[in-house]
Amino acid sequence: MEALFYKKTEDTPSIIFDPSRNTFEIAYRSLPEDANGFYEPILKWLNEFYENPLPKVDFVFFFEYFNTSSAKQIAKILLSLEKLSQKSEVTILWKYAKNDSDMQSTGLRYSKSLSLNFQFIPV
Amino acid sequence: MQEDNLSYIYRGLFTQTITDSIISLAENNLDSTGETSKVKKRVFSIMVECLQNITRHQTVEGEEFNDSSIPGIFMIQRKDDGYFITSGNVVPNIATPKLRSQLEKINSLQQDELKEYYKQILEDGSISDRGGAGLGLIEMARKSGNKLTFDFAKVNDDISYFYLHTAISKEIENATAVPVNLDNIKSLHRLSNEEEIVLVFNGVLNQDSLINLLSIIEGQMRGRVDIKKKVYNIMVEMLQNIVKHAAKGDDESVIGNPGIFFISSKNNSYSLCTGNYISNKSVEELKGKLEHVNSLKGEEIELFYSMRLLNFEIDNSKEAGLGVIDLRMKSGNCLDYSFSKVNDQVSFFTLQVSLK
Repeated sequence: MEALFYKKTEDTPSIIFDPSRNTFEIAYRSLPEDANGFYEPILKWLNEFYENPLPKVDFVFFFEYFNTSSAKQIAKILLSLEKLSQKSEVTILWKYAKNDSDMQSTGLRYSKSLSLNFQFIPV
Repeated sequence: MQEDNLSYIYRGLFTQTITDSIISLAENNLDSTGETSKVKKRVFSIMVECLQNITRHQTVEGEEFNDSSIPGIFMIQRKDDGYFITSGNVVPNIATPKLRSQLEKINSLQQDELKEYYKQILEDGSISDRGGAGLGLIEMARKSGNKLTFDFAKVNDDISYFYLHTAISKEIENATAVPVNLDNIKSLHRLSNEEEIVLVFNGVLNQDSLINLLSIIEGQMRGRVDIKKKVYNIMVEMLQNIVKHAAKGDDESVIGNPGIFFISSKNNSYSLCTGNYISNKSVEELKGKLEHVNSLKGEEIELFYSMRLLNFEIDNSKEAGLGVIDLRMKSGNCLDYSFSKVNDQVSFFTLQVSLK
């Protein structure tokens, strides 16, 4: 399956979803005007990956900041990974700057609402 | 608030990043309101000179002399007949006589004489490292077609506050030779000092202007990281509300929605305020959402947020969206708001969020 790459911009995150290297990472900032539009192809990619996944995958989330409309889209990504976890061994590596308690509690909030294996990693 | 109105005030420290963002913000607003490229160019070059004047005078003879307790100020206003740019910054008293005589000399010259004078100074080679000798001032007078208005207000035995005001007429032929009175500007400055205003923005808000405003505030804020992050979060949600939900102005070709934003940091406590038009049809619903969010206490807010976070089928519901709940959560205070009816179509909505 073809990898998905996005370079970071001032208001959108960098994304590397690369099955050939078993690397999955989304990072930096997310505050696009149209969060739905931005995340749509990413969710579509994950749906396709679900059809033919790897046995074990680690998904890194390392956000500096995201706005509330991105928060909903990230919830959608996590729900899609929750579905994937029925087929593969999925771990969410929730990274955050060690003084960023907001980002830590944001991750905790997701982990409470979903049945996914979360690991919290202060950086 | 006229929809084609552009005005903003920035008060604080001027760094390269901040001045770049101030310029981009103006660029974005002039672009999205369709200003002619001729006028745009003149506005830019004067803005650049003006901002360089401020940053240059933050240091004197290579030494950082400007203590940040007296912030510089930059204002741009648009009125029917043109643009008005004002800068204010601290200068040492020993430098004022020279500055004054340069400005008086420039104001005494006609357009063609200014060109000659510019060349003469260049050939003279009497330019200091910091590009002094008033070349920037001559450029401002040439590009504006108007006289430069200036004033010095003594702060103490060592320093004065230097105001420089340039009027840029849309048609250079209509330029007026009469210097304007700076009393209004000075009282505006006094007011923003009292309220510790960091930024006032009145113009077209779109995603690009949002990014520029964020960058100005990010560069400006000092102090605790967690407070800085909160202010950033609150700003994004408040401004994106305008970008996404505010009523458009009358001119459909304008990219973005008219809005007002200001941020103050009085007694080290940040307060952010927005104002925008919304359709009368949306008033009751929005009021209901705000009242509900304000009625929530402690844990309830967090619970409501989590519930809304994972509910994707209620985008048209009467319940408040994540943005509004987030504002309530981040500020730790109730949200202050008001609606006032403007006409049969729209009302003016204000929202104020204060950080505890």
